[in-house]
Amino acid sequence: MKPVTLMAQFHAEMDCPKEVVMWNYYDHEHLVGTHFKLYNRARVLAERENWSLVYRSKRMPLLPFYTGGVGFQFMDGNTMKSFHMDSVGFLLEMEALFSDLPDDRCGVTVTYRINTHPFFKLFEPLFQRLFKRWFWATWEEDAPMRLRRWKVHRLGFKDFGGLDYINKKSVRNRDARPGPYVFDPPVRSASPIKTITGIERPFDHSTEIGYADEPFAIQYGPELPSETAADEAVAQK
Amino acid sequence: MASAAKVITVQEEGRDVTYRYVASIAELKKTGQLTRWVGDHDILLYEYEGQIKALSNVCRHFGGPVGYHKHEDGVFTCLWHNWRYSCNDGSCLSHPGLPLRQYVLKIVNNQIYVDLLG
Repeated sequence: MKPVTLMAQFHAEMDCPKEVVMWNYYDHEHLVGTHFKLYNRARVLAERENWSLVYRSKRMPLLPFYTGGVGFQFMDGNTMKSFHMDSVGFLLEMEALFSDLPDDRCGVTVTYRINTHPFFKLFEPLFQRLFKRWFWATWEEDAPMRLRRWKVHRLGFKDFGGLDYINKKSVRNRDARPGPYVFDPPVRSASPIKTITGIERPFDHSTEIGYADEPFAIQYGPELPSETAADEAVAQK
Repeated sequence: MASAAKVITVQEEGRDVTYRYVASIAELKKTGQLTRWVGDHDILLYEYEGQIKALSNVCRHFGGPVGYHKHEDGVFTCLWHNWRYSCNDGSCLSHPGLPLRQYVLKIVNNQIYVDLLG
């Protein structure tokens, strides 16, 4: 019998350039950090500039067990395509189309597809529900990470270094404007994620204090007097 | 709550030192740990072994939030990639040589201030 395609598609926008979101998709190590409630193990089997092959163990919403599987992802222009084969036995195809929006914003359209036996067409509503939950669960965990990554980039952050003005106890040079965010995979890593053991999450429960990253305007130009909007906001808390 | 001064200036060793307001003791006591942006600095404020301390909340790896999780067994674990830092002095346990900046703080009238340049 001719296979049928189960499909689910979602669109969301983000207040950062698309390159930051691409970085996030290629940062495999954050799976057991940022997504510590969903993923418990990850291992990069191989990767090059625009592709990677990664083993992941995760728990999908609505399912009471972890499934391990291998995913291959690559960039095709502004689209990231990936193929995941899970231990359940389905081949999941995913496409993420990244688009630029004005004011350093971007849009992301994600399409999930499974080509399968016609019998499973009955379960398409369940498939769509499952992936709707999955998309939004991961999006909500990734969103503050992307926004903060964009924020610290604009403050002058250097990977494996930090912010110079913090490290050197000096005033930030507000005339220094960092260039555009560059997506340059593979994402540099200093963990065992590329070894045979991969990495495991250190815990799956925590007392979450959370982020402190409310909307925040990066100040450029001369040092402002202390009576700035940022000071006011801090004082009112 | 009564509004706290945003900035205080204190004479220390013959020079004026400016401290910026972060939070009140009452706010910190709620969870024993909080994070807050003060100007261009993300400050991690916490209680550890009876002392109030302040560290940079910006992980030296990729800039993640070190104080997202409540510290356990004297260790902060960054949310993004699990880099670990000592609550005692901000030293990095995952990658020695990349410690977190410690901030000098001052408590005045139950309000906590940090010296961003000290």
